[in-house]
Amino acid sequence: MRKTFRATVVLAAAAALALTGCTTGGGTGGDNGGDDGTFRVIAFTSGNQTPVGAWWVKAVEAKADELGWDLTMIQGDFDFQKMNPAVESAIGQGADAIFNGYTDVASIQSIVTAARDAEIPMFAMDAGTEPTDAYVLNVTTDQQGIVDQTVGALDEALGGLDGKTVMVIGHDPHAGIRMRSALAVEALEEAGATIAGGDMQKVQSPATGRTETLAFVADFMSANPGALDGVWAGWDDAALGAAQAITEAGEAGKVTGVDAVSEAIAQIQAGGAMLATVEQPWPSILDQVIAAMVAYQEDGTLPDENFEAAATTLVTAENAADITPSDKLE
Amino acid sequence: MTTTRNPGLEDPTDVRAIPRRSVGQTLLASGTVLALIALIVFFFAMRPDVFLGFTNVRNILYQVAILAIISGAQTIVMVVGDFDLSVAATSALAGAVASSMMLGGTPVPAAILVGLAVGVLVGLVNGVLVAYLNLSAFVATLATLTSVTGLAFLVTEGTTLFKMPEEFNNLGQGRFLQIPLPVFIATGISLILWALLKYTTLGRRWYATGGNAEVSRLSGVNVRLARLLAFTVAGLVAAIGGILLAARLGSASAVQGEDNLLFSVAAVFLGMTVVRSGAANIIGTLVGVAIIGVMSNGLNILGVNSYVQQVVTGLIIIAAVTLSSLKTRER
Repeated sequence: MRKTFRATVVLAAAAALALTGCTTGGGTGGDNGGDDGTFRVIAFTSGNQTPVGAWWVKAVEAKADELGWDLTMIQGDFDFQKMNPAVESAIGQGADAIFNGYTDVASIQSIVTAARDAEIPMFAMDAGTEPTDAYVLNVTTDQQGIVDQTVGALDEALGGLDGKTVMVIGHDPHAGIRMRSALAVEALEEAGATIAGGDMQKVQSPATGRTETLAFVADFMSANPGALDGVWAGWDDAALGAAQAITEAGEAGKVTGVDAVSEAIAQIQAGGAMLATVEQPWPSILDQVIAAMVAYQEDGTLPDENFEAAATTLVTAENAADITPSDKLE
Repeated sequence: MTTTRNPGLEDPTDVRAIPRRSVGQTLLASGTVLALIALIVFFFAMRPDVFLGFTNVRNILYQVAILAIISGAQTIVMVVGDFDLSVAATSALAGAVASSMMLGGTPVPAAILVGLAVGVLVGLVNGVLVAYLNLSAFVATLATLTSVTGLAFLVTEGTTLFKMPEEFNNLGQGRFLQIPLPVFIATGISLILWALLKYTTLGRRWYATGGNAEVSRLSGVNVRLARLLAFTVAGLVAAIGGILLAARLGSASAVQGEDNLLFSVAAVFLGMTVVRSGAANIIGTLVGVAIIGVMSNGLNILGVNSYVQQVVTGLIIIAAVTLSSLKTRER
């Protein structure tokens, strides 16, 4: 009995020591690394169930292996109630840097506070559309550039936008789509186009984006035969729904999307209603953020700017064959 | 020997048993049908040039065809007094599995059969959990929903599957007499389910189980088997809906059609207010589906914000449930 008690006390003491070891040493920049000199990174994303999010998880894990980082990867499944406490808990265990992939800053304020309190710098990619002190670096894509490219493609295909009717499909909860769809409405109206339905059509859930958009476009064309000249969609899945509605109605409208998923690229190559999409250079953006993190690891250097917007590529029938689809990234 | 009558049917003996009702009660009883008529009249008044035109009516039918099938699945489960939160997830998984197999080179009919088998399997699991392990349908199907969604992500690898064979896509996109094929398929399935519920012993046992499981058991109905079969048939029907949705969109993803869960429940609740008994029934469900379809199409045509549409849908569900509970109290 006494032996058992002693063993229990020894085990408890060992566990306490181990836990103490785990929780010491928060990242303070400069002299980075855990007790054994290993650079400890907490990476998290809420979008791991999307093709690009899934790619990001694998790519970051591969980079961490290559660089010898001690990586804690937290996948949120779009569930902030689950993800945020998990990240905060990991921050409490100590880390040298945090890497946010594709999670809007508006959804992670508690993580931002925890990171700030622990003095751990947060790097990010596509995690907000405007500069914020929450990050030491956030590299995303140029939303205005995306709009210029896609609206330009519609303008060219429709022989000018003045007097044309274009439907805009948005989705407010996604910061990037929200920003670019608002910019698209502005650009189209400036060019003299009429927004179909009087205002942007807002999809409620990305999961049903294709069917919701299909219904928006089919219903509009049903009520206004021959009136729809084009559809500007904030992402490809919605654009594909719009293209299907136009094809089924036998109308001649053109559709643009954003994301360069393989299905959209295939339709662009097929020469139907799907006119163009936009490739966002996620692999090079990831390399850029990782390089900044390595610089911090080496000597505590932080990026000069905390926000960068990378240029994108318009994907049309001319260059579609050369583009790696975003859902086939490796 | 106890006989069971189907309380969800427009049975003349049932009608005779119910005393004469006031105009108010009659309006209450047919409130959902009146709501549908009112919606049609309203949208027709707003857009007389378009709303009841052939193209738009076909458009509405096309948009609600798959919801009608999945609502049929939900109806079966709700007839036995249970609830299936996994119908939409099951349909997505079935569509994903069938699509994945086709892309792997499996012939279309075989891939469809495997997709249907997936639906049957999920339904069986739900049935065993609820009927034999006595888990609440809510908890059991919530758990199944979670696992099935995960399986769908595994099958699709988180991507959208496309480039299925043309003959498969034609199932969802083809037309006969200018009417999309899913409309015929939804009509056929609804007829089968209606006949199953109205004319078969199994249908009567389902209604008896939903009416009072204990009394049914004491009357000789194998309640567990009845519930197991209800979930299994629901899984099969949901799989048909999911496979058809994949064909209709020419693509399949893990979360495709997830709004069909909410809308199928709403349609069944709306339908429960149509018959005097307040039980789930196929004709009522189709009225519910029609209300959802007409409302969505009409509001889209009028350019109403989709967020407002969501609010209105919620209000309609509340109204339906309220009507349903008033009817129950009335009985």
